[in-house]
Amino acid sequence: MLKFSGLSGALVAAAVALASGSAVAKDIVLGASVQLTGPVANTGRYYRDAYQLAVDKINEAGGVKVGNETYQLALKLYDNQSDVNLSVRQYTQLVSRDKVNFLLGPFASNFALADSAVSEKYQIPMVQGGGASDQIFARGFKYIFGTLAPASNYFGSTIEMMKGLDPVPQSVALLYADDAFDVSVAEGTRPKLKAAGFTIAMDERYSTNATDFNSLLSQLKSKNVDAVLVAGHETEILNFVRQAKSLAVAPKMYSFTVGVPSEDFRKALGKDADYAFGMAAWLPSADLKDRWFGDAAQFASAFKAKFSYDPDYHAASGAADVEALVKAIEDAGTIEPAKVRDALAKVKFESLYGQIEFDKNGQIDLPQTVIQVQGDALVAIQGVHGKIAPPKYPMPAWNAR
Amino acid sequence: MTALRIILILAALAVLAAVPWFGSDVLIQFGINALLLAVLAQGWNIIGGYTGYASFGNSVFYGLGSYGVAIAMVQWHLPFAVGLAFGVVLAVAFAVLLGIPVLRLRGHYFAIATLALAQVMTAIVSNVELAGQNIGLVLPPLNNDRLFYELSLGLLVLVTLTVFWLTRSRFGFGLIAIRENEEGAEVMGVNTTLYKTLAFALSGVFSALAGGIHAYWVTFIDPESAFDISLNVKMIIMAVFGGPGTVLGPVVGALSLSAISEFLSSEVTSVAGLFFGIVVVAAVVLMPRGLADVFRRFRKTGWRYFAENIRAHRL
Amino acid sequence: MDLLGQVLINGALLGGLYAMMALGLALVWGVLNIVNLAHGAFIMLGAYVSLYLFTYAHIDPFLGLPITAVVMFAVGYGVQRGILNLIVRAPMFNTLLITFGLEVVLTYLAQLTFSADFRTINPSYAGDSIVLGPVVLPLARLLAFGVAIALTVGMWLFLLRTRLGRAIRATAQNLVAARLYGVEPRHLYAVTFGIGIALAGAAGGLYGTVSQINPYIGAALTAKSFAISIIGGLDNPLGVIVGGLFLGILESLAALYVGPTYADVASFGVLVLVLIVRPTGLLGKAA
Repeated sequence: MLKFSGLSGALVAAAVALASGSAVAKDIVLGASVQLTGPVANTGRYYRDAYQLAVDKINEAGGVKVGNETYQLALKLYDNQSDVNLSVRQYTQLVSRDKVNFLLGPFASNFALADSAVSEKYQIPMVQGGGASDQIFARGFKYIFGTLAPASNYFGSTIEMMKGLDPVPQSVALLYADDAFDVSVAEGTRPKLKAAGFTIAMDERYSTNATDFNSLLSQLKSKNVDAVLVAGHETEILNFVRQAKSLAVAPKMYSFTVGVPSEDFRKALGKDADYAFGMAAWLPSADLKDRWFGDAAQFASAFKAKFSYDPDYHAASGAADVEALVKAIEDAGTIEPAKVRDALAKVKFESLYGQIEFDKNGQIDLPQTVIQVQGDALVAIQGVHGKIAPPKYPMPAWNAR
Repeated sequence: MTALRIILILAALAVLAAVPWFGSDVLIQFGINALLLAVLAQGWNIIGGYTGYASFGNSVFYGLGSYGVAIAMVQWHLPFAVGLAFGVVLAVAFAVLLGIPVLRLRGHYFAIATLALAQVMTAIVSNVELAGQNIGLVLPPLNNDRLFYELSLGLLVLVTLTVFWLTRSRFGFGLIAIRENEEGAEVMGVNTTLYKTLAFALSGVFSALAGGIHAYWVTFIDPESAFDISLNVKMIIMAVFGGPGTVLGPVVGALSLSAISEFLSSEVTSVAGLFFGIVVVAAVVLMPRGLADVFRRFRKTGWRYFAENIRAHRL
Repeated sequence: MDLLGQVLINGALLGGLYAMMALGLALVWGVLNIVNLAHGAFIMLGAYVSLYLFTYAHIDPFLGLPITAVVMFAVGYGVQRGILNLIVRAPMFNTLLITFGLEVVLTYLAQLTFSADFRTINPSYAGDSIVLGPVVLPLARLLAFGVAIALTVGMWLFLLRTRLGRAIRATAQNLVAARLYGVEPRHLYAVTFGIGIALAGAAGGLYGTVSQINPYIGAALTAKSFAISIIGGLDNPLGVIVGGLFLGILESLAALYVGPTYADVASFGVLVLVLIVRPTGLLGKAA
């Protein structure tokens, strides 16, 4: 008796689930499970909004031409509540119950790592713009494609810039969170620093979600470090900067892997964000031409107009995921997953996000542009083609601002 | 009556076992998850429901089981079964080494100590090279959900039979005696330390096995997901929702709450968490002794049942 | 040597804030025997109240603390009277579960109302510091520390000297004794819970001036608060200060000498040790 009630509960849930959400004919349905609630919802929303915007724009422009037929795009989104296990189930659900045609990714490396197993199992291509850790692409999976630049090269352009600074920083501190992505960043950065001839005065791993940086900051001060490179998460970096100010720790420069490009981050710090260096694989520049949006600047203004916040590289990467799928479908001339997968492997086009072209592991390679907060503005300092604008360097003491 | 009951239970079991052959992939995935949660809730039932110790450390066992499988398979290239055994060994060692001192604590203090142990384990494992530090370990994928489903179901049957055995064994009576009055049990000649440690270890073995199966199934673990404290809270909620200290209560609680939560997160996707919280609060207020008690007494009292519960526990 | 001095000061100031967070938890736990898993969520709500007072009404976060405390007192009083009171006499699991459920609900409501954006309470002096020879004292942390100590001592005096305080302490021992003070127990419980939540709210306001706020900060703060209440012991607010200072300094030293990833190993490891060796806390009466 008792046993049955549990089972019937499960069956009712499944039956109700079956009754809803089937795709209309002539639609190509893209499915994704992203973080709309939970601790990383703050970044998850970039993906939700970018997917929606790109889908709408492509539909407005007439949809997707497959052979002689034209399809409209549809988007099926779930909220994974920032729970990896739930996201795996939701992707399975998208593929096996909702019968979506293709998958878009979640945010963050650990999610992409787990969810890519679903796309591989069902052989449905997933293009994801939220996970950059090398592990995702090291498993030999054939159905996962990624549009974030590899973690190991995040600080490459920053180190290039540092060599040209006057005076050249003597000692460098490398601080990084202990998650997959940031450890990859640190492992890539260490040899680059050595090759460039910098002394690494501190090399410290800290706990993800750490809130107290006072011990690290006090060490930075007592070792008189000139340049500080931090690979971490926005919350940690917010705390880091606020605590640096309150302990009057002002190295000649500091640079952060995340946060600086995001509007939310700069607003939270206010004036204290000034002088912070960061990096972005993408900036809303009119030089990046795009078939649907015109160019990256127009994408940015359309995004801002619709969602009333500025897009950053996460959003651009998400929009590029949709475009890459559409381009591959058109190239393949079919919506058969295996053929589209092969077309994705060969895809090569200019987009609002930059040149989309996957290497044999399925990852894209984009150079990082060094950016800096200067007053109220976010200024591009150094890109692939060398210097763009002069950096504000060295950073003055906190009480001299 | 009992014969009818046994037939009903066997029939239910047969239906459950057949699910992978007629159910959709989503149902199988949901099933694996729900069955593993039921194993965890039932495992918790041994230490929490029967012995009366509110363990928040069962997620440590779960994590050790996950890491047992992951380390064995990824670092040492050993088969899955060896990994499961390794995880069990780790869990038993933990239960004995830390169980003996921690099980001396009572009530909230025990709960907090085990909660802290879970935190310590997360922090320690994040620093262990062999366990992949905080980055975690990626296991080789195995696309055989039927196998995972049947393994989980088998484990659930095993743990439920164990609990059933508890209700009619000397050992089980000893545990209940400890729950009702520990000093009294001691006077009656129950070796309380031994009994509690055994219950803790037994509960740990099943949690570790569940963790091991889950690790191989999701193919990726890191300290945060392996030692997730909210998973421990979930097992308690499921056991208490169904009826702690009963044989089938935790299973029913786990399966029905899983179904509710799954339904919410696919239908009202972004307020699912909120509803889940409200369901928990309402359940605790309206049916504090679980579904098992509702089934037993609702027929007699009808809707007054809920009002009486409130009257009995409010101030 | 300068480095060690600075790190010790950092740890002590952090500890003052920790103590403030744990104070309300310890009070509710000690008197009502409710282990409030939603404590951190109330700290988070308090931080948002302070944030809104600061952003929209331009009330200085430190001067606004009494308002935050009053608002949170009302919230706490209502939650105890309306929800927790329904299960006061239920088994212990149930209080754990209901507060966990409350935590989930509060966190989600916070996300729906405030969004998942990161916020900071950033008055112009938030980053200022006082330089004392080789060491730097961050002003906001120093103020927060002072408020925490003052409130804790005030709490202690309140429990010891006032009629209501004595009634609350008597309730901790047994309910019948409380009736002798002529206070209606339901009201008394709600007042106690309200005070606990008011303290949590005030701690949240202080926390916002030194750290960032988002709807998800609660769980980690609850865990820290547990550690401090246990280490300090439940029967005396002054113990909480000792627990907070001890933990703050311990974490800072662990980060300095062993590595920043070991701060949690140290704090929760010590918690387990204290529980095993001396479950009534470092300062508590021997069991």
